[in-house]
Amino acid sequence: MTQHNAGPILPRFVRRLFPTVAGLPLGPLLTLSLRSLARRRPGLFERLGESRSACFGIDPVDLAFAFCVVPDGQRSSVRVVSKDEAARSDVQIKGPLLTLLGLLDGTLDGDAMFFSRVISISGRTEAVLALRNTIEDAELRPADLLGLHGTLARCVDKGVLGALGVARRLAHNSPSEAQQA
Amino acid sequence: MKARMELVCPAGTPATLRAAVQAGADAVYCGFRDETNARNFPGLNFSPNELAEGVRFAHDHGSKVLVAINTFARVDDVDIWKKAADAAVKSGADAIIAADFAVLDHVARNHKQIRLHLSVQAAAATPEAIGFYAAHFGIRRVVLPRILSLQEIAALNRAIGVETEAFVFGGLCVMIEGRCYLSSYATGKSPNLNGVCSPPEMVSYDEEPSGTTARLSGFTIDRYARGQPVGYPTLCKGKFKAGGKTSHLFEDPVSLNAGGMIAGLKAAGVTALKIEGRQRGKGYVSEVVRAFRKAVDAVEQGGDAVDIDRLLAGQSEGARQTAGAYEKKWR
Repeated sequence: MTQHNAGPILPRFVRRLFPTVAGLPLGPLLTLSLRSLARRRPGLFERLGESRSACFGIDPVDLAFAFCVVPDGQRSSVRVVSKDEAARSDVQIKGPLLTLLGLLDGTLDGDAMFFSRVISISGRTEAVLALRNTIEDAELRPADLLGLHGTLARCVDKGVLGALGVARRLAHNSPSEAQQA
Repeated sequence: MKARMELVCPAGTPATLRAAVQAGADAVYCGFRDETNARNFPGLNFSPNELAEGVRFAHDHGSKVLVAINTFARVDDVDIWKKAADAAVKSGADAIIAADFAVLDHVARNHKQIRLHLSVQAAAATPEAIGFYAAHFGIRRVVLPRILSLQEIAALNRAIGVETEAFVFGGLCVMIEGRCYLSSYATGKSPNLNGVCSPPEMVSYDEEPSGTTARLSGFTIDRYARGQPVGYPTLCKGKFKAGGKTSHLFEDPVSLNAGGMIAGLKAAGVTALKIEGRQRGKGYVSEVVRAFRKAVDAVEQGGDAVDIDRLLAGQSEGARQTAGAYEKKWR
């Protein structure tokens, strides 16, 4: 595992909201979203090859919980897990939530984030590389994950990406909060 | 007047192919998702359908697609390479880049309509070697090994009857274009047969009291202090202890940048300029292609050279650049 450098840590008021969010059935909702994506874009998951059955432990360092993701097409699953359980996954990817989301929507470059240690990885390197290349090709937008189309999709993309941009700016402007995280 | 130089750019995924075309690539090179090409990383490369779609996209935008089938075929499995060549032809691609005699022979005999380019993996650097490939397989272009100076390239171009393509940016291989016995020894896999010199399934980053250790197949390749930027462990660019000193023994982590030599390469008779990096992301490819598009156009129009070193300083491995063998200053 590589030790990570400081990235854009969530502002404190946003972090305070997360215990509420954690109470929602996040795992089942994200599982449905991923399976719906697999129905619409099966080729995307083929790119993962053998790594589609791997368990990816995604650990946002600024949240109290983590995710275990198995991106196996229509058999995909997402579970909200403890950080200890995420650490026992086939692959562990760790970093600030805003950075991890930036990798997903293509705003940030995975290689640069890893080599500069804003994110850290451990476990099966070939699975991480397969995931990185798959996401790189997928060009995912928030609306893709929600299964939206047309005008609504464009509005959601604009809203979500705009909000993430604002959150990143807030995070960058709050170094003292980052240090407290 | 000499023809306009062609800018040949890398694509590891369909999205990167589209990005390279939109950034100004005259041609994009890519490979299939298997061991037939020398960038066989997990999640990278194209299925036959993706290649056909990529070719359509490139042609619609006035760009060409060159398909690298440039590893060396195994004795008992040559059909894998032949089928890859057949699929490339079926996709409507503009050329096949190959090095192995079996692949070259198959294409030359069965697919006379497609151009054959001699891959850098063949390491052909003399008029005699290139003449042999031209006479026997009808190759139309040779990708030059990264060992020649500008003067040698000019002399070579005067002596051969095919086009030349020269690398101008990206990673360098200190071995004879991928013939790396060191990598084969350490991993049991060969860059020229399996298509990758540091197979990711053999790479690990281990956190230790002194920092992070990057290993390949259990061999320590480099150690990084806490917080220090890390790199992908390749044997030739690792730090080793020899004669009581720890240093980069074979090669420093440094990338080729011959952006300042575009005019010289044109004067030397080079037809195409190649950017390395099919394993790199869309952002990297877009930025490098845009910078080289600007620089090539400036040279073609007889204008001032673009300060490409400054434009691309952040894109080089280890943030350090070299003009490689073109200037013959490289060790």
